[in-house]
Amino acid sequence: MTDPRQLRRRRLRDRLATLLITAGGVGVVVSVLAIGVFLAWEVVPLFLGEGALAPAELWQPQPVEGYAEPQHRWRPEPLVAGDAVHYGMAPLAWGTLKAALWALLFAVPLALGAAIHSALYMPRRLRARLKPTLELMEALPGVVIGFVAGLVLAPWVERHLAGALALVVTLPLGAVAAGGLRALLPAFLRARLSPGWAGLWLAPWLLLVGSLTLWLAPALEAGLPGGDLRGWLEATWGLDVASRNALIVGLAMGFAVIPGIYALAEDALSGVPASLGEGALALGATRWQTLWRVVLPAAGPGIFSAVMIGAGRAVGETMIVLMASGNTALMSLSPLEGLRSLSATIAIELPEAAVGATHYRLLFLAALLLFAFTFLVNTLAEVVRTRLRRRYRRLEGSA
Amino acid sequence: MRPFLTRRRGEGPWPWLAAGSVALSLSMLAGLLLLLAVGGLGHFWPAEVSEVTPREGAPFAGIPVREERVVGSERRERLYFTGNLDLDGERWRWIPLDAIAALEAPPELVVLERRRWGDFLGHLVALEDGGRRHAGAAAWPALEERLATLETLRDERDHLRDAVVAPLVRRLEQGGDPAAAAELARANARIRELQTAMQGATLVLESVDGRRLEQPLAEVLRAWRPNAMSPPQKLAAWGRGVWRFLSEGPRAANSAGGVWPAIFGTVMMVLLMSVVVTPFGVLAGIYLNEVARQGPFTRLVRIGVRNLAGVPSIVYGVFGLGVFVHGIGGSLDAWFFADSLPSPTFGTGGLLWASLTLALLTLPVVIVATEEGLARVPEHQREGALALGATRMEMLTRVVLPMTVPAMLTGLILAVARAAGEVAPLMLVGVAKLAPQVPVDGEFPFLHLERKFMHLGYHIYDTAFHGDDVQAAMPLVYATALLLVLVILVLNLTAIFLRHHLRARHGVASRA
Amino acid sequence: MGWRRAPSAGHRERALESVFTSSPATAGGPIIDFAADESCLAIEGLSLAYGETPALRDLTLRVPRHRVTAFIGPSGCGKSTLLRALNRLHDLNEEVVRRGEIRLEGQDIHAPEVDVAELRRRVGMVFQAPNPFPMSIYDNVAFGLRLQGGLRKRRIDDTVEWALQSAALWEEVKDRLRASAWTLSGGQQQRLVIARTLAVGPEVLLLDEPASALDPISTLKIEELIRNLKSRLSLVLVTHNMQQAARVSDYTAFLQRGELVEYGPTQTLFTNPRLARTENYITGRMT
Repeated sequence: MTDPRQLRRRRLRDRLATLLITAGGVGVVVSVLAIGVFLAWEVVPLFLGEGALAPAELWQPQPVEGYAEPQHRWRPEPLVAGDAVHYGMAPLAWGTLKAALWALLFAVPLALGAAIHSALYMPRRLRARLKPTLELMEALPGVVIGFVAGLVLAPWVERHLAGALALVVTLPLGAVAAGGLRALLPAFLRARLSPGWAGLWLAPWLLLVGSLTLWLAPALEAGLPGGDLRGWLEATWGLDVASRNALIVGLAMGFAVIPGIYALAEDALSGVPASLGEGALALGATRWQTLWRVVLPAAGPGIFSAVMIGAGRAVGETMIVLMASGNTALMSLSPLEGLRSLSATIAIELPEAAVGATHYRLLFLAALLLFAFTFLVNTLAEVVRTRLRRRYRRLEGSA
Repeated sequence: MRPFLTRRRGEGPWPWLAAGSVALSLSMLAGLLLLLAVGGLGHFWPAEVSEVTPREGAPFAGIPVREERVVGSERRERLYFTGNLDLDGERWRWIPLDAIAALEAPPELVVLERRRWGDFLGHLVALEDGGRRHAGAAAWPALEERLATLETLRDERDHLRDAVVAPLVRRLEQGGDPAAAAELARANARIRELQTAMQGATLVLESVDGRRLEQPLAEVLRAWRPNAMSPPQKLAAWGRGVWRFLSEGPRAANSAGGVWPAIFGTVMMVLLMSVVVTPFGVLAGIYLNEVARQGPFTRLVRIGVRNLAGVPSIVYGVFGLGVFVHGIGGSLDAWFFADSLPSPTFGTGGLLWASLTLALLTLPVVIVATEEGLARVPEHQREGALALGATRMEMLTRVVLPMTVPAMLTGLILAVARAAGEVAPLMLVGVAKLAPQVPVDGEFPFLHLERKFMHLGYHIYDTAFHGDDVQAAMPLVYATALLLVLVILVLNLTAIFLRHHLRARHGVASRA
Repeated sequence: MGWRRAPSAGHRERALESVFTSSPATAGGPIIDFAADESCLAIEGLSLAYGETPALRDLTLRVPRHRVTAFIGPSGCGKSTLLRALNRLHDLNEEVVRRGEIRLEGQDIHAPEVDVAELRRRVGMVFQAPNPFPMSIYDNVAFGLRLQGGLRKRRIDDTVEWALQSAALWEEVKDRLRASAWTLSGGQQQRLVIARTLAVGPEVLLLDEPASALDPISTLKIEELIRNLKSRLSLVLVTHNMQQAARVSDYTAFLQRGELVEYGPTQTLFTNPRLARTENYITGRMT
């Protein structure tokens, strides 16, 4: 027999614990979700009451002393007393998007290529090892990547601009050439260099191609009129080359977002029910045709959400942009000029801004923009991903 | 006969581009790690000093750093670290390779690490100590011996300063205490005594091109003769260098010395953060997965929580600054520390606020990991427990949660790894370039939550971007970056291992 | 996730050797033989293993042209494994090791110069569960044709209609060719998959329990279709349903534990099996 008193005590304890968990859980959830509300609360006074800012002051060119045309200009604190202040946030938003754009331009092809290769061609064991390796890549702190980009890579690229730009062309060509050359090899060697392991054995080959490119680049550069790429770029295209520029940021931040995009895209690709791929193969499709015509269309939403999440990360990343971008608030599309992003601006200026002042609240507005953007993008990606998962389940269910 | 099987339709270049992107990603990762390892570990190796005789001009001693092609020509030039800031006015020298007439590595070249002016590279002529003069071959052994004595004296003095004088001073500031004043006077006298014992001796140095220099020995921290060292000696020196890097505080505006306070600060912050984030994250995870009614609302909340993991860390920093530092901290100051206003106590960045901010930042990681762990527990386990008459709480605490512990641990480790590498939010809520006191000491209440602290990640940023001579600080930045990356890699590997172990034990998810 | 080093090819060969020699093949049942010019597929001494687990042992048989050949046997006997070996679908699984030969019209399908995609086009396959692609009915059937490239629209239209008629589906779908293939019923989907395979003009059609997921009426339709198709190509049918094998096939092979036990004309095998093992299975005395 169970003692009824004990039973009651147990039931009471159960209810108490449930209450505690509920209180804790709801509290956490609410407080976490309150971030957006708080940021908005701090921003609202900007646009209300006395001395309210007109949105046009933030987003449209304003007259600047010494310039005939209205300019976008971010100078929230006067340089010398009595100087005019300008609250044009457009260059900052522009810089954020530009950095993210260049990062994605670099990261998306690499990450999707890697996902496709590992989902389609790689032996399962190798894939099981590649995934955690790339997870480690994601865990590398931004400050380390930023340091390497800003202090090692940027000066190096500045000295070897021609070689660095040539690499963009020669590395893909090298990979394709490796495929072509492999077909010419004797059979026993060809069997050693199987496509499934190409992710590994191509690495030394690409290293070789890269070194050759760098070795030959000075000769190529000498062939340009003037014998100097920077001079030529400036004379012909009007491009000004800054040491820390959008290209470096794109490269470094691309490096940081590759693993995230890869992981989600790989999930989407290998989540496509095997029966679909087998059906296409059984019709005589090559693996690449199977991918292109059946697997990719089916996994499309998943890949879209992978790219979205990568974009969210690129927009919000702070340390890499701060350390590798030069932090000049320009409105140019040129990859060889610097930029200043919203996140870097917050990190630099907020510790020094007076609490409650316009500048302070504007930086909160920047944070709110980042929050809203990434939250929207991530929610969109998550919804798409959930839908996709349901669709896969139906595909398998119908199968 | 029909066309035979050999009609080959190639797959074109695309598969090779895809494979190439794997190869390139892996190469970049390997390259980055290699760069950090070489840059970070190489710094502590006692590098050989060359005596360079240019075709024109005086000879100099230097450690080769790197070579570059001269822009716009085929010639190459080499960068030497020459030290001797007091003699030359610089520490670096570029010289074209074809301008070098001779290169030698004489064993008697010494390198001195000095408190002011940085390193000295050159010859040791003599050691003068209160009238006695050790010159020639006797100078080096005398120097080594004298440096060892100095080291003990210095240790005693530093200990006195940190562990005795500093707390006494703080006690005196808070109110007169005659005993403390007497104690302080005694300690200060001993320190002065030690200081005098350190003074007196002088080194006579000579640069390679023959300029003489008198160097007070008290300013010299270490001396070595890299060209005369055998590989085992160099290895031992390397080990000592690594140890000093890990155990000492920074010197010369963070461009020399070690990173001990930064390691300590990082660990303290991460520990505090774990204490906060674990219970709340686990509670929220249990709530979402076990207690809350599963419906569209819970699903929305879950998506929201998941997406907070994607919100930029700087936004959390802004939130922490607004809510913790200025909101809660400001109120605390107004209520409890009003007498020390306007200088803030809790109303400024500090260890507590930084930990709380990072706890908020890593909360989604722990929640998601807990939820995944809970979802992995087979439904029949729950039903089994309930069928035996267990209440829901008993079912949770006795059956489900024990099975979920590895998942929570994985989440916590991932959270710690993430927090250890985050810098941006810390810049807003409490990290310091150089914190005079670590947040833990022998003074009540022992743990000082309001103090600012140093952080490995911020140390990298600050040293690399705000130093005077970035070139000189580079090896140290490399070493710090390597340390940070190693810590994070080890944490992540542990998490990966745990997760694997977990999957192997529970099989695939049984409740999606 | 194994952190173990993947064994090299040579290592795996040796593993296979030990797998097969440790339990010597006991098969020796009577094997019907077809002359080379009567058979389309010839399997010679085929052994196959998943890693260290053997699935097929030293199998030898020939598949006659323009006939329906059924593989029967208890589940796990290797009949599906054998079927997938015939168009090299095992290539996708790096764990699979193989010994022995398969010849299609006299040519070794594992020869290095063979193009796998072309092989799979000529040896079509229909799976247990219908797997139409997430596109329209028309696009599903045209899929294989478009892979070849260079075909005119008119020609594709004609082939799609022909294939759908051959699969006895045309009348049911001719008015909604642009509708999603997923709107079809299970039986229709399976016939669509057959039509899709027929459209690329295979010589051999492999059917892996094509009716196991279908209702009885759809099953009958599929069976009728199989019988009608043998005038055009050779069919290989894997089924666990002995009545189906008896109804549809001309020849039947009985497999057990990866070995070929008995192979002969369906009529003979079902009414007068030579081996007790076969009889036990057929009459249901199998444990």
